[in-house]
Amino acid sequence: MKYDVVIGLEIHVALLTESKFLCSCSTAFGAPPNTQCCPVCLGLPGSLPVVNEKAVEYAVKAGLALNCQVHTFSRFDRKNYFYPDLPKAYQITQDTYPLCTDGFLEYYIDDELRCTAITRLHLEEEAGKLIHSGSSIVDSEYSLVDYNRAGIPLIEIVTAPDITSPRQARLFLEQLRLVMRYIGVSDVKMEEGSLRCDANISLKPQGSPVLGTKVEIKNLNSFRALERALEYEVKRQSAVLERGGKIKQESRTWDERAGRTLSMRSKGDAPDYRYFPEPDLPPLQLDPAWVNCLKDTLPELPLARLRRLEESYGLSRYEATFLVNYPDFGDLFLELAKAGEDNTALVNLLMGDYARLAREQGHLAPGRIAELLRIVAEGLITHNQSKAVLEELFRSPLSPREIVRDKGWEVLRDAEQLRAMVQEALAANPDIVSRYRAGEERLWGYLVGQVMRAAAGKADPKVVNELLKEELARG
Amino acid sequence: MRELAELLQTGQVSSTELVIACLEQIKQTDGVINAFLTVDEQGALEQAAQSDARRARGEALSPWDGIPVAIKDNISTRGLRTTCASRILRNYHPVYDATVVERLKQAGLPILGKTNLDEFAMGSSTEYSAFGVTKNPHDPARVAGGSSGGSAAAVAAGQVPWALGTDTGGSIRQPSSFCGVVGLKPTYGRVSRYGVVALAPSLDQVGPLAKTVEEAAALFSLIAGEDPRDATSAGAPAFQVPRWNAAVVQGLRVGVPEEFFSSGLNAEVEAAVRRSLRTLEEQGAVLKPISLATNDYAIDTYLTLVTAEASSCLARFDGVRYGERVAAPDANTMFAKTRGAGFGAEVKRRIMLGTYVLSASHYEAYYEQAQRVRTLIKLEIARAFEQVDVIITPTTPSTAFRIGEKRNPLEMYLSDLYTATANLSGICALSLPCGYDSQGLPIGLQIMGDHYQEELVFQVGRVVEASVERGPKVEV
Amino acid sequence: MIGREEVIRMATLARLELSEEEIELYTRDLNSFLVSGKKLQQVDVSGITGTSHAVSVIHALRRDEVGESLPREAVLAEGPEVLDGYFKVPRIVEGQE
Ligand SMILES: [Zn+2]
Repeated sequence: MKYDVVIGLEIHVALLTESKFLCSCSTAFGAPPNTQCCPVCLGLPGSLPVVNEKAVEYAVKAGLALNCQVHTFSRFDRKNYFYPDLPKAYQITQDTYPLCTDGFLEYYIDDELRCTAITRLHLEEEAGKLIHSGSSIVDSEYSLVDYNRAGIPLIEIVTAPDITSPRQARLFLEQLRLVMRYIGVSDVKMEEGSLRCDANISLKPQGSPVLGTKVEIKNLNSFRALERALEYEVKRQSAVLERGGKIKQESRTWDERAGRTLSMRSKGDAPDYRYFPEPDLPPLQLDPAWVNCLKDTLPELPLARLRRLEESYGLSRYEATFLVNYPDFGDLFLELAKAGEDNTALVNLLMGDYARLAREQGHLAPGRIAELLRIVAEGLITHNQSKAVLEELFRSPLSPREIVRDKGWEVLRDAEQLRAMVQEALAANPDIVSRYRAGEERLWGYLVGQVMRAAAGKADPKVVNELLKEELARG
Repeated sequence: MRELAELLQTGQVSSTELVIACLEQIKQTDGVINAFLTVDEQGALEQAAQSDARRARGEALSPWDGIPVAIKDNISTRGLRTTCASRILRNYHPVYDATVVERLKQAGLPILGKTNLDEFAMGSSTEYSAFGVTKNPHDPARVAGGSSGGSAAAVAAGQVPWALGTDTGGSIRQPSSFCGVVGLKPTYGRVSRYGVVALAPSLDQVGPLAKTVEEAAALFSLIAGEDPRDATSAGAPAFQVPRWNAAVVQGLRVGVPEEFFSSGLNAEVEAAVRRSLRTLEEQGAVLKPISLATNDYAIDTYLTLVTAEASSCLARFDGVRYGERVAAPDANTMFAKTRGAGFGAEVKRRIMLGTYVLSASHYEAYYEQAQRVRTLIKLEIARAFEQVDVIITPTTPSTAFRIGEKRNPLEMYLSDLYTATANLSGICALSLPCGYDSQGLPIGLQIMGDHYQEELVFQVGRVVEASVERGPKVEV
Repeated sequence: MIGREEVIRMATLARLELSEEEIELYTRDLNSFLVSGKKLQQVDVSGITGTSHAVSVIHALRRDEVGESLPREAVLAEGPEVLDGYFKVPRIVEGQE
């Protein structure tokens, strides 16, 4: 039987505030354990939370960027459960009245535009970090707790279950990450945990309106893991259904090394979190004017930029996608294109050797890039030479023109000097010349190459071509 | 206190002498009373010496610089043991001061020690303290009330001039009433709760206990006002001791709710309160019978909300970061053993109730319903204050009961019958002595005022106080 | 009526180890509390929104400024068991609720 795949994602994004969500401890990554803690984030008796306004601002921005309805009234709730990394034994979150609801995100799968609905987006606090004595939680005698991370602001984003393939899930998450990066609310690093994703997946017979039993997959630490784990689940669940078996509603964890999902031990009933309104925090009441103001200050978002690059700059989907996915390259492109540089030459440069060098060593000043493009256009150097100049630009503080002058890389254009080189090349290859004359036209390139070599690559190819034609005609 | 402040100001008495006198009184009386869980003799003497040095330099931090104070033991004091009268915190030393403690220190008040309470402030008699009951200075066979029983008894027994307590459903006013002292439950949010170990955060308030209305007002002036560390205190005004003016009662509309004078009210208590009401009337107040019918639901509403919030607030005592731990091979068993051994019977009872009313299948019928009834109570109070300026009632249905007399928890909960409404509606309420019963036990009168009307409540309280003849002196 | 099973479930949720006597005691107490809850359920609250905060306060936010954290000795000072700058807890059994 054929099955429809139904996937919904639950995403946590750590917000890039200086201080924590509910206290003034630093959020800096990588400090020694338990050095960024205070009575509030340790849950000491008597301590009280106070909401960081920047966290609210970032969450609202995220909601706006995901086309959500931002509610001017929202409320905090307590989610009660015991776990060693949870200092108060409850998490401050938003349950009944979330900050944002009813949004969507559009993105491309190949050439097809897709839209995934965002059910809700709300603010909550991060838990601490556990370090296990063994290789995993199950075979550890004890665990160690570090509360530095406890209380960092998070947004939880929940999608509707309208993702229909593992690949789509990955593409959605990549687009979401891009949006968060564009609006600058998070550094969205999966490896540092500032972007995390759990997935719910179920199968149903093709076309059936009845949803199948949902399985939750946790521990998805990379985009690849998300896609692979979902692919694995599709296979596993189809096999179970094919056998006439039933899918168990459960949580499974992704084992990266083994390449499969494993059932997480679960005892007894579903958890009862006993949510209730957080009495220590008054409800959040936002000024609609402030929300509108934030909306106006949102930067151009990835999809809009993609369309602009294609429509206004004539770039291909491939080129535009590159510039959108690497916003620093996109910004550079737009700045230089605005300054009147040739779009095609520019995007070729940025996507070529420049990309590799810039990733290793950081970007060049736009002015130096512009000058490099200009001296190629002017014919001061050849396209081939531009690569050497580019390498040099990353090493030297000099301008492209200064580099060319210092290195003596100006194009040889002196006709008499070049004619001598052409004549030498023809004289040195009588065999090739006669074969060319006999009709082997593909040997033309070989002859040009010989001249270029003699000129150490600096010869103006146009002049070389003309002279070669003349000299051969002369016979 | 004005006298004490003047004596300190003129150098006729030193802070050190005051602290020594308090320590001496504690030594003589606390073996019986058991008001203090921790006496910080050394710390108090050091702070007193510093105060004396400041006075000598003419740099007193406040008019009350040097007057010692006692703190209920659910309020965090840096480096000074804070037990909440619970085994689970018997060796807990906070690393920070509650805002109210910080403010008292900034005003130069030496901290004499920490007073007894029902475990985590859950109770009305201090019988639920893990460290022994506090006895009533007027009759050691009787309770001092609770949960701020230690603070009330310490003031009544002359162990300390004044003290801080906390009030979630009557925990300042009821023991004040039982011990014959003055106690204020401030408007919700007017005093910072930062550092106060929570029982029910939507109801808890810190307030002063003292011998006189004026002293209570003075102590309140040191702690009131917005604190950036407590979001629920946002916008709360500070408080200054007013110029006392008996004329405020002229034309004052005094609401007298019939429901607070119904069956179950002790006749002597009723007589004393009505006598004070008549005195106010004679001085120009207008008594207006009003109805607060929702008070009938106050205790049930209160109980539901308190247990729910408490079950969540007390979850953090899991043996990971502080407090006592009972070792076990896995974390969940460790949590359960730690909490099972660390909490007393009443705390466990309330955690069980609270867990039940918050659990998914009961939330709507119990917790949500109680929240909505709370709204009805608030609305009725708001309507009442459209017609009257203050509401006067007895503080408690009876005077102090005997130790061990109330065995049934539900019976104990009824101690808050007249006081819980103020917490549920967030208004302020003052309890002050208005006479004695035939056994010589103090009777308390409660003056409720609208949000942030503490000044009016104190003014009226002072007039009532002046009209009440002083009763038998406390002998221990 | 609340049965013994329900009481045990609550105790598990609240992480309270109870003795047999305590289970009996709290079964009785929960049931007598039900009477109180039932009384509230008689109150007509149609059209009434619940009160979750005693006094309505708006805009109680703080600026995003880093303040001082506690020194690590103070953070760990009250910890029942600490190791290498961490709090130490026994084996965690997943998924138990
Ligand atoms: Zn902190």
